[in-house]
Amino acid sequence: MKEKTQVEDIDRSLYDFRYSDEDSMKVDEGLTEEIVLQISEEKNDPEWMRDFRLHSLDVYNKTEMVDWGPSIEGLDMDHIITYVRPNTNRMQTDWEDVPEDIKDTFERLGIPQAERESLAGVGAQYDSELVYHNVKDEVAAQGVIYTDLESAMHGEYAEMIEKHFMKLVPPTDHKFAALHGAVWSGGSFVYVPKGVNVEIPLQSYFRLNAAGAGQFEHTLIIVDEGAYLHFIEGCSAPKYNVANLHAGCVELFVGKNATLRYSTIENWSKNMYNLNTKRAKVEEGGKVEWVSGSFGSHVSYLYPMSILNGKGARCEFSGVTFAGAGQNLDTGAKVVHAAENTSSYINTRSISKGGGISTFRSAVVVAPNAKGTKSAVSCESLMLDDISRSDTVPAMDIRCADADIGHEAKIGRISDEVVFYLMSRGMSEEDAKALIVSGFADNVGKELPLEYAVEMNNLIRLEMKGSIG
Amino acid sequence: MREIKDIKINKVPSPTWRWLSLNDYFLSNVEVPAGISSETELPLAVEVKEIPEFSAGDIKSGMGDDFNKLMKCSNAPVHLFKKTKSGAADSPVSIKLMFNDSCSEAYQAEFELVDDSSLTVVMDLETEEGASGLGAVSVRYKLGQNAKLNLIQLVHCEGDYTILDDIGGECADKANFSLIQIVIGSGKVFLGASSALEGKRSRLDTKLAYLVDGGGYLDVNYIADHLGKKTESEIGVAGVLRDSAKKVFRGTIDFKKGCAGAVGSEIEDVILMNEGVINQTIPVILCAEEDVEGSHGATIGKLPSDMLFYMTSRGMELDNIYELMARARITAVSQSIPVPEFRDKIEEILDEKAADRKEREL
Repeated sequence: MKEKTQVEDIDRSLYDFRYSDEDSMKVDEGLTEEIVLQISEEKNDPEWMRDFRLHSLDVYNKTEMVDWGPSIEGLDMDHIITYVRPNTNRMQTDWEDVPEDIKDTFERLGIPQAERESLAGVGAQYDSELVYHNVKDEVAAQGVIYTDLESAMHGEYAEMIEKHFMKLVPPTDHKFAALHGAVWSGGSFVYVPKGVNVEIPLQSYFRLNAAGAGQFEHTLIIVDEGAYLHFIEGCSAPKYNVANLHAGCVELFVGKNATLRYSTIENWSKNMYNLNTKRAKVEEGGKVEWVSGSFGSHVSYLYPMSILNGKGARCEFSGVTFAGAGQNLDTGAKVVHAAENTSSYINTRSISKGGGISTFRSAVVVAPNAKGTKSAVSCESLMLDDISRSDTVPAMDIRCADADIGHEAKIGRISDEVVFYLMSRGMSEEDAKALIVSGFADNVGKELPLEYAVEMNNLIRLEMKGSIG
Repeated sequence: MREIKDIKINKVPSPTWRWLSLNDYFLSNVEVPAGISSETELPLAVEVKEIPEFSAGDIKSGMGDDFNKLMKCSNAPVHLFKKTKSGAADSPVSIKLMFNDSCSEAYQAEFELVDDSSLTVVMDLETEEGASGLGAVSVRYKLGQNAKLNLIQLVHCEGDYTILDDIGGECADKANFSLIQIVIGSGKVFLGASSALEGKRSRLDTKLAYLVDGGGYLDVNYIADHLGKKTESEIGVAGVLRDSAKKVFRGTIDFKKGCAGAVGSEIEDVILMNEGVINQTIPVILCAEEDVEGSHGATIGKLPSDMLFYMTSRGMELDNIYELMARARITAVSQSIPVPEFRDKIEEILDEKAADRKEREL
C-alpha cells in the first residue's frame, strides 16, 4: 500500500515579512468620488487626469462584474484602501535616502544587489508610491527615459503621456480597468528612442506592505522605431488575513521594427486578488515577447494581450502558472492579428497541486484583412494530485481565409516511470518531482535572465515542498 | 398562432470573455413547434411506442434547459425505441423527417438499449427546397452494460430554414455511443450533444463533417462528461466553410473527479475556402482528476502548402484541388457509415451542390 507522507507548510519567509504601516497616509476604505478626488490632489494631477479619473469612476459604477472565471466574492471593494502613501515624501534616486524599513524590505528581496549586478535601471514601488527610481548613466546617455509616471506627466513628456495613457486599455474595457483609471497611482514611464538598443534589462519591483490595501500602478512603455528593450517586472507581498487587491495596468507601444521583451515573475501573497491588465500594440515589423511566471495570488485574472497592428508584426508568449493550495489562477494570453503577415506563438505550461486550480485561457482573433496570418498555440497542464483542478479554455475567432492557425493542448500527470528512473539514480521522490516540474516549466525559465530563472526554479522548489503523496 | 419564445442554447460549460460571443447562442422569436410526422422503418428486434415525455427523465443535453422547455411546450410525442433483447438488430432503424415550408415542427425520440445489445439508427433531417421555417429534434439515449448505439444523422438544411438538433444520453459500463453527423447546406443548423460516460470503460465516438455554404450558419456544442473510470472519448470535427458561411464549434471534454484512467481527445480541421467566412472555435478541457489524458488539436485555414504543391505538380488546377479536398472532408466520414443507401444519398447531395455551383459560376 502506498503511504502518504506528511505535507508540510511551505516556508515563504523570504517574501512573507511585513513592517508597520502606522506612519503611512491612507485614504478611507471603499471607493467614492471624494476618495478619487483626494488621490488626484495627492498626485497633483493635471486637469485632464482628474477628469479622466472621475470618468473612470463613472464607468466603474456602471460596469457589471465579470460572470466567468474564478469567484471574486471574497473581494469587498468597500473594505479596500485604494491609496497608501508610505512614510516618505518623495521618490529617491539614492538607496541611502530611502527610509530604513522600506530599504530593508527591498534589500531582503535582493533588488539593490540585482541592480548592481545585472540591471540598467530599477524602479521600486512600496504600496501606492514609487520610493526609488534610478537608471544607469550610460543608458540615460542614450536618451532612454525611465522614470515615475507622475513626474513624467508634468515634464517634457506630458503630451506623450496624455496621448497614450489608457488608450490601449480604456476604462470601458472591464470593471477593474475602470477602477484602475479612477485610483491608479505609481508605476513607471519608459521611452526608448529610435534605434536605441538597451542591452541590459530595466526592472520595476512592486511591494504591497499594507493590509487590506490595493495597488494600482500604471506602466507605460514606448519603444520607438528599431529600438530594443527588455523590461522585468517583479512583485510580492506579505500574507494577511484580509483581501488585498492588485489591479495594475501595463500599456506597451512597440514601434516599427522595434522589439520589446516584457518579463514578469509574479509572486503575490496568497490573500491577493490579482486582476491585472496588460496590453501591447505592435507596429509594422515589430515584436513583443511576453515571458510570464505566475506563482502567487489567491485569485488571478491575467491575460496579456497583443494587438499586431502593422504588417509582419509578431508576438511570442511563454508562460508558466503554478497553482497551489487555496489558489485559483486564471491565466493565459490574447492576440489580435489586425494586419497582413502577422504571426503569433503562445506556449504555456500550468501546474496544479494541493487543491489549487489553474485555468489556461486564450483568444486568437484574426481580422478579415490579416492575410497571411500564422498562429500557433500550445498549452500543457500537469496535475500533481487528485484534489486539484486544471482547465484549458482556448478560443479562436478566424475571419480571414488566408490564415494558418494551429492549436494543441494536453493535460496529464507526471509519469511514474520517469520518477522511478530518477529515484533509482539516487534522488528523493520530492527532488525527482521538483526536477520534472522545473523541466516542464523550462519554456519560461530558458527565456529569463539567469538570476530570474534561478528565482523561478526556487519558487517551484518552494511550492513542491511536501508534495509527495 | 403558437406561442413565441426567446431561448439561449448551446451554452459552453466553462464560459469565457463575453466580447468573443462564444459562450452561447441567443435565438429570439422562436415559435413553439408542433409534432411532425416521420417515415420510420424498424428492425424486428426493436419495439416502438409513443409516450408523452422522455422516460429517462431530465438527462443533460447539449442544447440545454431552454431548448428542453421549448420541446416540452410542443405537443410532439416522444417515440420510445426499445431494444429489449441482447444481440445486434438485423437492420438499422431509419427515421426520415422532411420539414415543411412555413412551419415550426418538432420530433422527439428516445433509445433504450438493454445490456449487450446493439443498434444502428439513421436519421435523415431534410428541408423542403426553397422553404423557410424551424425544425427541432430532440434525442435521448440510455445504454445498458456493453450496449452499443450508432446514431447517424444527415442534416441537409438550405436557405431560410433553421434546424435545432439536440442529443443527450448516458452510458453504463462498457457501453459505447457512436455519433456521426453530416451537415450540408446554406441554412442555419444548431447541433447539441452531451454524453455522460457514467459506466466504467464506457466510450464515446463523435464525428462531425460539414459543408456550409452561402450565408449558412452552423453552431455546435459537444460535451463529453467522463464520470466512470477508464472512460474514453474521441471527438473529430472536419469541415469546409465557403462563400459567407459561419461556424461556431464548442467542444468540451470534462474529466470529473473519480474518472481515473480516462482518456479524451478532440481534433478539429477546418478549411476556409473564401474570404468572408468566419470560423469560431472553443475546444475546452476541464480536469478534476489526476490520472487522465486529455488533448485537443485544431488546424484552421487554407490547405497546407506542401499538399498544394504536390497536387499542382500533378497537373491539377487550384480550384479543383480545393473542391476535391472539400469533398474529401465529408467523404472521409460518410465512408464509415454502415448503410450504403445513406452513403449514396450524401454523395448525391454533394454532386448536386457541385453541379449547382458550376452552373452559377458559368
